[in-house]
Amino acid sequence: MLYTPLSITDIFPSSEQEFQKRQCVSYNGRQLYVEEMEDGQFQVLQLLSTDPQDFMNADFMPGTILR
Amino acid sequence: MEKDPSKKEDKNQEEQANNSSLVQKIQQLGQSNVPTAPDSNTHVLSIIGQVEGHVQLPAQNKTTKYEHLLPQLIAVEQNPKIEGLIILLNTVGGDVEAGLALSEMIASISKPTVSIVLGGGHSIGVPIAVSADHSFIAPTATMTIHPIRLNGLVIGVPQTFEYMDKMQDRVIDFVVQHSDIEEEKFKELMFAKGNLTRDIGTNVIGTDAVEYGLIDGVGGVSHAMLKLNEMIGDHQGPEEQVIQ
Repeated sequence: MLYTPLSITDIFPSSEQEFQKRQCVSYNGRQLYVEEMEDGQFQVLQLLSTDPQDFMNADFMPGTILR
Repeated sequence: MEKDPSKKEDKNQEEQANNSSLVQKIQQLGQSNVPTAPDSNTHVLSIIGQVEGHVQLPAQNKTTKYEHLLPQLIAVEQNPKIEGLIILLNTVGGDVEAGLALSEMIASISKPTVSIVLGGGHSIGVPIAVSADHSFIAPTATMTIHPIRLNGLVIGVPQTFEYMDKMQDRVIDFVVQHSDIEEEKFKELMFAKGNLTRDIGTNVIGTDAVEYGLIDGVGGVSHAMLKLNEMIGDHQGPEEQVIQ
């Protein structure tokens, strides 16, 4: 039992693998922050764009699997 | 006999692969297409979660990485089709130098900028909020003003202290220069006792932030868009008009 104001990651640092799975890629001219899934495909985590219309595009929706 | 289990495993794997591809198809087909709208002349920059600078935070933190935003700000400045920028803020603060870098970038953009503080714009979120040409705060949003802090191993305490003291001054100077708040008032809020249970500082709520002169107005999306469009009109000036 731990009783501490520290966050869990200060005590148990997350593994390097977590970071390696995530990367920033360019897809259809937009920067996407993606996570590699177990089967090697990439899933969108975040769209890095300032254009509000890009967020209306279903191709860039978080959770979309890139082909 | 030994062959059988491996065959079974193969079949299992195949089945799993089939299942996962089916799930993916469902995930992908369950989306509708949105009709394409004309290019927007105003762009949006959202600063959410922690402002991440020199240190990479663990994967479960929601962060805004400044190295992602800086090139976007340059793109906004360069693209002639973009006439204004809205900055959405809902941040708990984060890396001081990354936050100051963002603030300086936003402040030095030549195009009209409007910021909206939604939920919270704490610590280093304060200079980012005031860096825009015009700032709004939602009535329920709050901003925590407190002295800068450092955690972790410190080597050379006196030097580090002096460096932190100067960093503190940079934050105060920036906020005072880019908002209507008086330096004395800002310092008073920053070092106030008894507001944050066992910490020094003040939690300023929407209307109070406007009263102190920290933020320009209480408002939301419509106010911000109206103001930005008005500023875009002023920015373009009469030279854009065609004389017949």
